Amino acid sequence: MIRIALAALLSLALAAPALAHRVNVFASVEDGGTVLVEARFSTGRVPVAGEVRVEDASGTLLATYELDEDGTARFPLDREAAAGGLSITVRTDDDHEGYWLLTPADLGGGS
Amino acid sequence: MSRLVFAALLAASPAAAHYGMIIPSDPMLSQEEGRSVDLTVSFSHPFEEDGMVLERPEAFTVTHDGETSDLLGDLTEATVMGEPGYTMTHDLERPGTHVFAMTPVPYWEPAEDAFIQHFTKTYVSAYGDDEGWDAELGLRTEIVPLTKPFGLWAGNVFQGVVHLEGEPVPFAEVEVEFYNEGQQAAAPSELMITQTIKADGNGVFTYAAPAPGWWGFAALNTAPETMDKVGAAKAVELGAVIWVRFEEWAAQ
Repeated sequence: MIRIALAALLSLALAAPALAHRVNVFASVEDGGTVLVEARFSTGRVPVAGEVRVEDASGTLLATYELDEDGTARFPLDREAAAGGLSITVRTDDDHEGYWLLTPADLGGGS
Repeated sequence: MSRLVFAALLAASPAAAHYGMIIPSDPMLSQEEGRSVDLTVSFSHPFEEDGMVLERPEAFTVTHDGETSDLLGDLTEATVMGEPGYTMTHDLERPGTHVFAMTPVPYWEPAEDAFIQHFTKTYVSAYGDDEGWDAELGLRTEIVPLTKPFGLWAGNVFQGVVHLEGEPVPFAEVEVEFYNEGQQAAAPSELMITQTIKADGNGVFTYAAPAPGWWGFAALNTAPETMDKVGAAKAVELGAVIWVRFEEWAAQ
C-alpha cells in the first residue's frame, strides 16, 4: 500500500525516459541515523553536481541537498517524517534525473 | 523383443546434457520489484525437465563489486524437477551485478564412465545498474561473457569466451540447451534438445537464441587429472556453465 503510494507520487519520475545517459540513484541508511545517497551515470561516471530532493510518502518536500563532487549526499534520518518511506530524487546539473524509494522496510521498520 | 528392450533403454536415458543450474526469479531486479531474488539450484536435464540429485555443493558464492561472499549456508534443501536440489533467497543490498556461482562436488556418471563437475553461474543486475556484468570470477573453468548476460532480446546473439585455468580454450565445445519450463517447446529431433557449437581459435563462441527464456551454455573440457572410482582412474569432465535469460520482444 505504502509502496504503491510512493510509486504513484513518483509518476513524474517514472515518466522520464530511461536514456542512454541515465542517472542511477541508490540510498541506504548508515549507522541507523544517516541516509547516504549515491548517484551514478549508467556509463559508470558520477555526477559532480546536482540537487537531491527528499519527499515523504505523501509527496511533501522535506528537504533539498546539494550533491557532493563524488556523486553522494548525506542527511540525517528523521524517522518520524520518514515513517511512511522516503522518495529521493537526484537531478543533475545537466538535467538527468533518477530516484530511489526508501521503503519503511529499507529504513529498518521505521521504528 | 531386443528392439523393444533397446527402445525402453533409450526412453529411460534422456538424450539431453547434464546441466548445473542456478535460476534466479529475476535477472534484472528493479527497486519496485523488491530487494531480494529467489534462486533455484539444481543438477538437471533442462530441456526435458528431468532432475538429478544435486549433493550439497563444495562452494556457493555471490560476487559483487570484486568481493566474493560465501552463501553455502543459505542453501535450503528443496525438490527441483523431482529430485533433491536447493533454493535460496538472497538480499541484493547494493546496485550493480551480482554473480552467483556454484562449484558442485564431482558427480559420478556411470553412462559416461567419468566424473562430471559443472562450475555454474548466473548474473543478476540490481536496481537498474549493470556495473560488473563482464566479471570474471576466476573459477577453474568459466565462460566469461562478452555480451551482457542479461537484458537480451530473444534473437540476439550471446557471446562468451571459454576459459580453463584462466586461459582461453581454442575451439572449445559448447553445448546449448533451453530450460523448457512447462514443456513449452518440442524438439523435432533429439539432436536439437542439446545443440552443440564450437568456439573459434580464441575460445570465443556465439549463439543466437530463437525464443525467450533461460538458455544454458556449457563448455566442456576434460581435466588433466583423473579421479579414483573403486581403484580405477576415471576421467573428469569440467563444465563451465552460464545461464542467460532472453526476453520476449515487446512490440507495442
